[in-house]
Amino acid sequence: MAAQKGVDKGRGWSLGLAGLLAPAAFWLGVFFLVPLLLILAYSFGTSGVYGGITLGFNPENYLKVFDPLYLQIIVRSTVIALLNTLICLAIGYPLAYFIAFRGGSWKTALILLVMIPFWTSLLVRAYAWVVILGGNGLANRTLQFLGITDGPITLIFTPQAVMMGLVYSYLPFMVLPLYASLEKFDARLKEAAQDLGASRWQTFWRVTFPLSLPGVIAGSILVFIPSAGEFVIPDLLGGSQTVMTGNLIQQQFLNARDWAFGSALAVMLAVLMLGAILIYVRRIGTDRLEGV
Amino acid sequence: MRERQTQERPPEAARGAARPAAVELAGVTKRFEDFVAVDDLTLSIYEGEFFSLLGPSGCGKTTTLRMIAGFEDPTEGELRVAGRPMRGVPPYRRPVNTVFQSYALFPHLDVFENIAFGLRRAKVPKDEIRRRVSEACALVQLTGFERRKPARLSGGQQQRVALARALVNRPKVLLLDEPLGALDLKLRKEMQIELKNLQHELGITFVYVTHDQEEALTMSDRIAVMKDGKVQQLDTPANLYELPANRFVAGFIGQTNTFSGEVESVRGERVTLRTAGGLELEAFAPAGREVVKGSEAHVAVRPEKVRFGEAGDNAFAGEVRDVVYLGSSTQYVVELKGGERLVVYRQNAREAADSGAGDEVWVAWDAANCLVLGE
Ligand SMILES: Nc1ncnc2c1ncn2[C@@H]1O[C@H](COP(=O)(O)OP(=O)(O)O)[C@@H](O)[C@H]1O
Ligand SMILES: [Mg+2]
Repeated sequence: MAAQKGVDKGRGWSLGLAGLLAPAAFWLGVFFLVPLLLILAYSFGTSGVYGGITLGFNPENYLKVFDPLYLQIIVRSTVIALLNTLICLAIGYPLAYFIAFRGGSWKTALILLVMIPFWTSLLVRAYAWVVILGGNGLANRTLQFLGITDGPITLIFTPQAVMMGLVYSYLPFMVLPLYASLEKFDARLKEAAQDLGASRWQTFWRVTFPLSLPGVIAGSILVFIPSAGEFVIPDLLGGSQTVMTGNLIQQQFLNARDWAFGSALAVMLAVLMLGAILIYVRRIGTDRLEGV
Repeated sequence: MRERQTQERPPEAARGAARPAAVELAGVTKRFEDFVAVDDLTLSIYEGEFFSLLGPSGCGKTTTLRMIAGFEDPTEGELRVAGRPMRGVPPYRRPVNTVFQSYALFPHLDVFENIAFGLRRAKVPKDEIRRRVSEACALVQLTGFERRKPARLSGGQQQRVALARALVNRPKVLLLDEPLGALDLKLRKEMQIELKNLQHELGITFVYVTHDQEEALTMSDRIAVMKDGKVQQLDTPANLYELPANRFVAGFIGQTNTFSGEVESVRGERVTLRTAGGLELEAFAPAGREVVKGSEAHVAVRPEKVRFGEAGDNAFAGEVRDVVYLGSSTQYVVELKGGERLVVYRQNAREAADSGAGDEVWVAWDAANCLVLGE
C-alpha cells in the first residue's frame, strides 16, 4: 500500500518536473544542440571552391588544424586567455575583497559600478578604446601634455592593447562571482583563525582564500572560456598583429568561405576548453570544495 | 552624580588576593561612538579559576571577552593577561583561546584539521600534532570523528570540536562566550558538568560568559554580575545568592521578594523598616552596608526562607491567592493585609498541611534572612 503510494507520488513529481523543464529543454535543443551538431557535421565535410559544403567524413579539416601556422594561433590565444584570467584574478580578487569586507553601506553602489560597462555594447566600448589609444587619441595627447613623450607613440594594434582590452572587458565576470562568494563569508571565521594564532596573512591563505575557491573557479571559467574565443577585441585593438582563434574562425566563415575548416577549428576550440576546465576543476576543485 | 556599586569583600576573595592573576582589568572602558558598552571595569581573574560574567543580554559581556581576546581594544584602561599588558597585542599573539558562541568551525577542514589549526600555526612537529589532537579528541569524546567535516556533526559534537580546538593549544586562559547557548536543555546540563570537570582536571583559567544565572551558579568559582556595562557584584555563587548587593542582583539571581520602606531604627546590624503599606519589617544589614535612619531602603527575602506560621521576627497575616505545584516544592502567592504580594516556597512533604487559594494564613521569616539591599 505504502509503496504503491510512494510510486504514485514519484510519478507525479517527474511529470510536473518534465512540464517545468520543457521550455528550457526545447530552447536548448533548438538553439544550442542543433547548431552544435550542425557544426560537428560541417567539420567533417568538404568545402566547395565557391563556398557551399558537401557532407561526408573528411578528416582533413582536423589535420589542417595542426598545421603549425594555425596551431601557433591556437596556442597563442590559449596563452592570452590564460594570462587574461590570471590578470583578472590578480586585479579582481583584491577589488572583490575590498568591496565585500570594507564596502560597508557602499557595497551595493560599488558592485553596481563594476557592472556599469555592461550597460553599453562591447563593440561601442572597444571602439572607445580605439579612439583613446589611437595615434592622436586621448592617451597620446595626455602623455605629450605631461611631457612624458615628445610625439605620438604606438599604443594601438599591439599585443599589449589587446591584453588591456581583454582585461577591461572581462574583469566584471571575475569580480562578480568572487564578490558573491566573499560576501557570504562568515567574518567570525577570521576571528577564529586569529584566535588560534594565525597572522592576517595565514588567515587569508588558510581560511578566506580556500573558502572563496568556488568564486575563483566560477570567475576563472567565466573569463577564460569566452576570452579564448574572443574576436572583437583582437580585431579592433590588435589589428593584424594579434590574431586569435576567434578571428581565425570568423575569417574562415566570412572571408575564406571555408566553413568546413572553420567548423573544425570551432570544435577543436570547444574540446580544448572543455579539457582545460575538467583539469582545472579536478586539480583545485573537488576535495577542497566538498562540505563548503 | 557618581554611582558606585557596593563592594563587600567576601572571605574567598580576600584569601584569593594572594593568588596570581591570570587576567586583570583596571578601569577598562569600551565606547562604540557615544555608546558605553563597558564602563570602568576593574577586576582580577585568578589562575585556575572558573570565572563567569553573568548579566542580561546587551550588558557588555561579549565586549569584555572580546577585549581580553584582542578583537577589541579598550577605549580606556589597562588589560593584562598573565601579567603582560595587552594593549596593541594582536589576538594571534595572546596566550588565550576562545570558544565562540556560534562555534565558528572552519567548514572546509575536517575535525582533525580544525583541532590541529592552532598547533600548525605554532609550528608544532607533526608527530606531536597527531598525538595532541588524538588526546584532545579523546578528551571531548570525539574519537572516530576525525575525518568528518563540521557540517556533518550534530550541534553537541560541533560544540565539542570548538572546545577541543581551543583547549589543544593549552592556553593560559580559555574564553567561552555562551558556549552552550545553542544546545537543548538536557545536553546543556550534561555539558555543564563536563565543562566543569574538564576545567578542574586541566586547571586552565576559564572566563565564561552566560546570561543563564543557574548555569553560572552551578559552574563558577566566582561570578561578576553585570548590568549596563558595570559590575554590580563580584562574588562566589553562595554569597551572590545569600548576600546580594543590590536590588538588581537580588532579582537576577534566583527569585526574591523585595519590600521598600523608611528606616525606623538602626541597632548595629539590625534594621527596622516601615513600608508604605504599614508593615513593620525586621531586617539585617551586612557589615559595611550603610543604612541611615529616616532614609528609604529596600529589603529582600527569598521565597524558601518564608514559613507558614506565626513564629519569627517578621510575622504577618495574609490570604493565599495562588498555588503552583512545582514537584519538589509548591509555590504560594500570599497577599498580605497591606496589599503586598509575597512568594513562598514550601518543600513538598506528606505531613505538610495543604493550603488552597482563598485560605487565611500566617507567614513568617527571620530578620537574618531579610537582607537590606544596597542601591
Ligand atoms: N561593534 C559594535 N558597535 C556598536 N555597538 C556595539 C558593538 N558591539 C557591541 N555593541 C553594543 O554594546 C552593548 C553590549 O554588547 P555585548 O557585549 O555584545 O552584550 P552581551 O554579550 O552582554 O549581550 C550592546 O548594546 C551592543 O549593541
Ligand atoms: Mg553576548
